[in-house]
Amino acid sequence: MNSTGNPYVPILVIGAIGFGFAAFSLVAAAITGPKRYNRAKADPYECGIEPSPQAAEGGRFPVKYFLTAMLFIIFDIEIVFLYPWAVTFDKLGVFGLVEMSIFIATVFVAYAYVWRRGGLEWD
Amino acid sequence: MNWLTTLMALPLVGALVISVLPKSNALAAKRAAFATTLIVAGATITMAVQFQRDNVEIQFVESRSWIPSFGIKYALGIDGIALVLILLSVLLAPIVVLAGWNESSGGRWSAKTFYILLLVLETMIVGVFSATDVFLFYVFFEAMLVPVYFLIGGFGTGERSAAAVKFLLYSLFGGLLMLASIIALYVLSGEQIGHTFDLAALSHLTMDSTTENFLFLGFFIAFAIKAPLWPLHTWLPDAAASATPGTSVLLLGVLDKVGTFGMIRYCMTLFPHATKTFTPMIIVLALISIIYGAFLAIGQKDLKRLIAFTSISHFGFITLGIFSMTSQGQSGATLYMFNHGFSTAALFLIGGWMMSRRGSSKIADFGGLQRVTPVMAWTFFIAGMSSLALPGLSSFVSEFLVLVGTYTRYPVAAVIGTFGIVLAALYILIPVQRALHGPVTPGNEGLSDLNMRERIAIAPVLAIIIALGFYPSPLLNVINPAAAHTIAQSGFTDPVSQIDAKAGK
Amino acid sequence: MSIFTAPVLNYSLLAPILIVLAGAVLGVMIEAFASKAIRPVAQLSLTLGTLILAIAQVWRIRHQSSLTAAMGSVAIDGAAILMQGAVLVIAILGVLLIADQEQFTVLAAAVPGSEEERESLESGQKLTEVYPLTLFAVAGMLVFPVSNDLISLFVALEMLSLPLYLMAGLSRRRRLLSQEAALKYFLLGAFSSAFFLFGAAYLYGYSGSVSLAGIRDSVVGGSGNDVFFLIGIAFLSIGLLFKVGAVPFHAWTPDVYQGAPTPVTAFMAAATKVAAFGAMLRIFYTAFANAYWDWRPLMTVIAIITMLFGSFVAIAQRDIKRMLAYSSIAHAGFLLAGVIALNKAGLDASIFYLFAYGIATVGAFAIVTLVRDSTGEVTDLKRWAGLGKRSPFAASLFATFLLAFAGIPLTSGFIGKFSIFSAAYESGNKAIVVVGVLSSAIAAYFYIRVIVLMFFTDPADDGTSVVIPSMLTRITVIAAFIITIFLGVFPAPLLNFITSLAYFIR
Repeated sequence: MNSTGNPYVPILVIGAIGFGFAAFSLVAAAITGPKRYNRAKADPYECGIEPSPQAAEGGRFPVKYFLTAMLFIIFDIEIVFLYPWAVTFDKLGVFGLVEMSIFIATVFVAYAYVWRRGGLEWD
Repeated sequence: MNWLTTLMALPLVGALVISVLPKSNALAAKRAAFATTLIVAGATITMAVQFQRDNVEIQFVESRSWIPSFGIKYALGIDGIALVLILLSVLLAPIVVLAGWNESSGGRWSAKTFYILLLVLETMIVGVFSATDVFLFYVFFEAMLVPVYFLIGGFGTGERSAAAVKFLLYSLFGGLLMLASIIALYVLSGEQIGHTFDLAALSHLTMDSTTENFLFLGFFIAFAIKAPLWPLHTWLPDAAASATPGTSVLLLGVLDKVGTFGMIRYCMTLFPHATKTFTPMIIVLALISIIYGAFLAIGQKDLKRLIAFTSISHFGFITLGIFSMTSQGQSGATLYMFNHGFSTAALFLIGGWMMSRRGSSKIADFGGLQRVTPVMAWTFFIAGMSSLALPGLSSFVSEFLVLVGTYTRYPVAAVIGTFGIVLAALYILIPVQRALHGPVTPGNEGLSDLNMRERIAIAPVLAIIIALGFYPSPLLNVINPAAAHTIAQSGFTDPVSQIDAKAGK
Repeated sequence: MSIFTAPVLNYSLLAPILIVLAGAVLGVMIEAFASKAIRPVAQLSLTLGTLILAIAQVWRIRHQSSLTAAMGSVAIDGAAILMQGAVLVIAILGVLLIADQEQFTVLAAAVPGSEEERESLESGQKLTEVYPLTLFAVAGMLVFPVSNDLISLFVALEMLSLPLYLMAGLSRRRRLLSQEAALKYFLLGAFSSAFFLFGAAYLYGYSGSVSLAGIRDSVVGGSGNDVFFLIGIAFLSIGLLFKVGAVPFHAWTPDVYQGAPTPVTAFMAAATKVAAFGAMLRIFYTAFANAYWDWRPLMTVIAIITMLFGSFVAIAQRDIKRMLAYSSIAHAGFLLAGVIALNKAGLDASIFYLFAYGIATVGAFAIVTLVRDSTGEVTDLKRWAGLGKRSPFAASLFATFLLAFAGIPLTSGFIGKFSIFSAAYESGNKAIVVVGVLSSAIAAYFYIRVIVLMFFTDPADDGTSVVIPSMLTRITVIAAFIITIFLGVFPAPLLNFITSLAYFIR
């Protein structure tokens, strides 16, 4: 990028590319894709379960899905942090090892809590 | 010896002693309270004897650092004016306890609570009159409201809680305005001489006239509510009518003097120029108070409210004297504060006995008391005469001094003020005539006369009223130098000498 | 490849925060592995021990101040020490109240009124999760006022808020109200976090730095896009003003104060204010100080509106907790006066006020927890009538706290009010002093009304009474009372301590 221009121009460019990609995909899919409709396709997407006007068990959504999603995020984030650490492991040395162990231990505490309190039992 | 701190500590010690007494034993609490107030009175008299009356400086000075971050000091000291007011307060306290021996029984709480509140109040009264640190003064000025509030609301009669709230809200409002002024003074002092609340140091601040006028008003409105001056007086009749006679005595006799005392000590010392600016307006307000209070007193059917309105009229006189800006006026006003304390005490206490015996506070319900209860009737008569400033009684001297002092500078105001005396004759003589003289009306036949305790309680009050009527100089000797000093400090000179000089030519 | 070195964290200075976090994690472990019988005692002692240890650490590092830790993202200066100390003291008193488990539901997830809920209540179990949640919130409150860059500020903001959202929904009685409070608090809180983040992004755009010092440098240097700066200040302020409950971002306050279990309300009302105002003071006194011309007029208006609105609306309240909520809004206005003052006196005054107000708040809510009938806490003001007759001791203490809120001399509130208004006056802001004084007069009315109700009104015979407080609640109430009076009569030691320590490093 040229150094004299507004530093925000690249952001604008990225935005434009993103918008363009989305617009292109939609239009391309509409033009090229097969058009076979059925009932399941017309239904709102609901985590793969049967959509119903009234959720089971007295009007409440089972909380299990959210628990699972949260657990996924916890370990997802763990990986997000583990990866850069792995890359710079030699530079961070013992400091990095100790910090990372504490981090993993903390995540494990959350996991242990969920496990002990029955969060992993499906029914 | 730290006289003033001792005077403040003694009632607190008494309150502590009472607080550990058993709740059921009301008599012990009463005795302890009476003994404490007597000791305080004795100690004050001992201190007063050592007061150097020709010395215009603040005496019995104490000073200790309290909150150094803000330059706040625990600083006490008194001049003649403050001494007289402290004397008034501590002398009235034992009389109130003795006279209202049974007052504490009709309350929401035990007698113990009543006397603890009373003694805490006494501490704060001494503090408010002797503080020479503006912040310390404010602390006492505001904190004083709390015990009074509970005394009215907890032990009064009738619409007591409404009256207590009205009293508290009025006073708090005034106090907060004063707080704004105090904050301004604090900041100004920080800019000019380093943060301080020392009264003497603050009086040397320089400020532009707009600021000075606003700060003056902050203080003055607070004091005018307390005093109370028309049109800020509306809380007083309710409070006085709802409080017990003893509390009313302290409220009108002592607490309201804080307002007039504050005008002398704070408004005039701190803001001499603004005082000059506002003097004409304040004199008008004072005259309205005199006349208005008197007219409303004439129209009252209730004895307690009558006394309250006479007080509004009397406070008009005191304010008039203060803002006459003459040394006679000031001396007269200070003496008036003292005398008014005792004559109001006499009216309220004897009136209170009359009302509790008759079971009514309506003037119309009384009649012919002179035949049934001669002692009570005569003492009430003397109290009434003192209130209308009959020559030979103490109030006459002070009222005369106020009017003379006012006349030398504001002759018209003095003439209007004189009407107040005429009206006073009406508002005192009409109820006295109705209640005391004439035939005994139904319901009054069986009333009992004053008992020994009541006679002992009222005797010193009447003695002071009569003695000071003939021989006021012991007090005036103490007051005069201080009054002259205050006038000189505010940059006024007595116009009397000029008139004399002209006459001499 | 760029040179990458291990950061220096300076654990010694972070010790208070780390200890509280470790305590919280341990608390989670106790929840997971300890038997139900020993959990309440274990959690309580762990929590109190952690907090006391953290206070000791704060005391230890008080003179090592004026340092930054964690690569400059946390500033441990004198002001930070004071604020962390205040949060911890309030937290200890708050935890002593939270220990009264009568206030909490056992199974927060159960449908209100369901069979499941009834069974859980009858089982006699205790809800002990509230302790680690408290500790997590405290950790956030310890980080919030010491954060020296926008990222740590945001992380701390979330760390202190998320547990509080949960805790607001744990009330045993009036479950629906409590859940409503939690949901409202969460939604509005998330909203304000978004504003905060938005503002932070613009400030980064303006200065190219997320650290407060960097933003300050840009302000001083005058480089950068002023529009970004103004948008940044505005949105960051909205996020902060929400947390302190200033008008017009106060809407959550009465509902949450009323719905949350009273011990949580006590802790939240007092400690969140300290943390949020601590952060606010730091941001405005360091990063934005030189741009005061840009934000002061608007903040003055907000402060004035907040004072007046809080005082006026409190008059109309019929519920003691809602009344205290509006009173806290009014107090937020007074505290904003200290932020706007932007001088050393303002900083000292604000810290003193925060501490004094926080302690009195915990004390007042502690008394609220004691007034009950057979179905639980009674917050309807009408039913407080005659409390002074039935239990003069509790009523007198409550009256003392109210007088402190009203700023009556010889209570801590008066010294706080005086110092904050004098600082505001010193900065030349006379309007705020006048309005502050007037709204104090209005506020005095509703405080006094409660006193009248308690002392001068005859009790109705409806079963309202003051329960005998547990030892822990008693400690809280009496400690709060003693501190409130002591700070009113002998404020000098604390004031001197604050004056000597309260500096921000820049």
